[in-house]
Amino acid sequence: MNNLCTEIDYRSLNKFGEELCGDHVDVVEQGENSSIIVLADGLGSGVKANILSTLTAKIISTMMAQSMSIEDCVATIASTLPVCSVRGIAYSTFSIIRIIDSEEAEIIQYDNPHVILLRNGKNVEIPETVLEIEGKTIYQSRIPIKRNDIFIGMSDGAVHAGVGKLLNFGWKREDIIHFLETLYDVRFTAKIITGMLLDQCGKLYQNEPGDDTTVCTIKIRNREQINLVVGPPANPNDVRKMMSLFFSKEGKHIVCGGTTSSLAAKFLDKPIKAEFNYVDPSIPPTAEIEGVDLVTEGVLTINRVLTYAQNYLENKGSYGQWRSKRDGASLLARILFEEATDINFYVGKAVNPAHQNPDLPINFSIKMRLVDELSDCLRKMGKRIKVSYF
Amino acid sequence: MKITVCIGSSCHLKGSREVVEELQQLIADNDLKDKIDLCGTFCMGNCVNGVNVTIGEEIFSLKPETTKNFFETQVLKRI
Repeated sequence: MNNLCTEIDYRSLNKFGEELCGDHVDVVEQGENSSIIVLADGLGSGVKANILSTLTAKIISTMMAQSMSIEDCVATIASTLPVCSVRGIAYSTFSIIRIIDSEEAEIIQYDNPHVILLRNGKNVEIPETVLEIEGKTIYQSRIPIKRNDIFIGMSDGAVHAGVGKLLNFGWKREDIIHFLETLYDVRFTAKIITGMLLDQCGKLYQNEPGDDTTVCTIKIRNREQINLVVGPPANPNDVRKMMSLFFSKEGKHIVCGGTTSSLAAKFLDKPIKAEFNYVDPSIPPTAEIEGVDLVTEGVLTINRVLTYAQNYLENKGSYGQWRSKRDGASLLARILFEEATDINFYVGKAVNPAHQNPDLPINFSIKMRLVDELSDCLRKMGKRIKVSYF
Repeated sequence: MKITVCIGSSCHLKGSREVVEELQQLIADNDLKDKIDLCGTFCMGNCVNGVNVTIGEEIFSLKPETTKNFFETQVLKRI
């Protein structure tokens, strides 16, 4: 068994003026190491396309998850999809990417732009075999996956971006590959890649997409466990227990909060070196303790990380804020959003008497709420979160 | 001489960054960089009276606007 896992992110731009998207992505996780991702693009746009693509994606992902063959899936779709009254056909294109045991990818494609594979930032053509099922030409591939492989599936809205307006023939698949190879950075998350590609499509369409455009990115990466302790335990006698559990865990260790870092320093028997690095005036400086990967202040820093997390999830494009800066909140955001796949929170429930001052905008309930909201956001990013209270 | 400024959450909100910057400026202006060691610390457990600043074992309660006075009355006489 290897230590690989998948990071999946997808997003769509709706055709200009449409409320519903005619593309649909469905993800089914099978246990810890396998997943099925289906991207379907329904005929036409609006409600009709939305129904066709949703049905297609759901039928395929459900059937594949039950280990049924691709022939059965295609036959089922052909006989169940409602027939379009205008065109007299039932039609939805699809791409299926199936990650098997974190070792192999099976890709099945019908009429969508072919899935792009970036291996170490370079395009790799995926060998394909051609199948004829129910008169449809279907391309099937199986390849072993490697760390840092990036699979990018898209609907034809992406390759048609800018057609007839900024570009004569749209944004061809080769152009998209070139765009991705040029911008590639090994640290990019699936979400950032999806965002970059889709933003570029939006620009080429001059923000009025002529077709529904969907990008789905699957990044193969190592599992990375991160441990974060915040707050002293409610019972002062539990400090040793809490710290020894925390420090015995594999992976990076992050300590948040002034009192908490003193406890950690005492436990490790190392001094704390506080710094005066006011990179961001509203975020208190970080500190250093030998044996701890990051030491930050508590509530103010976590509050900022939560704002970054919410913006990141809503694609508000504020990546620049935390992707390069060196303040405590940005450093913490990078570790939690980009590096981590599994995060263990150790939350102490002690009440800091100093924070009960009504003049201060922080108090105990805010601290607890911050951790809850942050773990919700991180779950939405696909991280596995465990929270233990002390 | 060692001056320690609390940079914990509560003192931060009460203006410890301004206090630090002012002290850094005053130390530079008075050419005392060799004599004064200015450093930060996380919470001193005395948040109610922040911004907390210590000279040795002695603890002082500062505000950004009282920093200059603190420097002139407390720091300079100890040099």
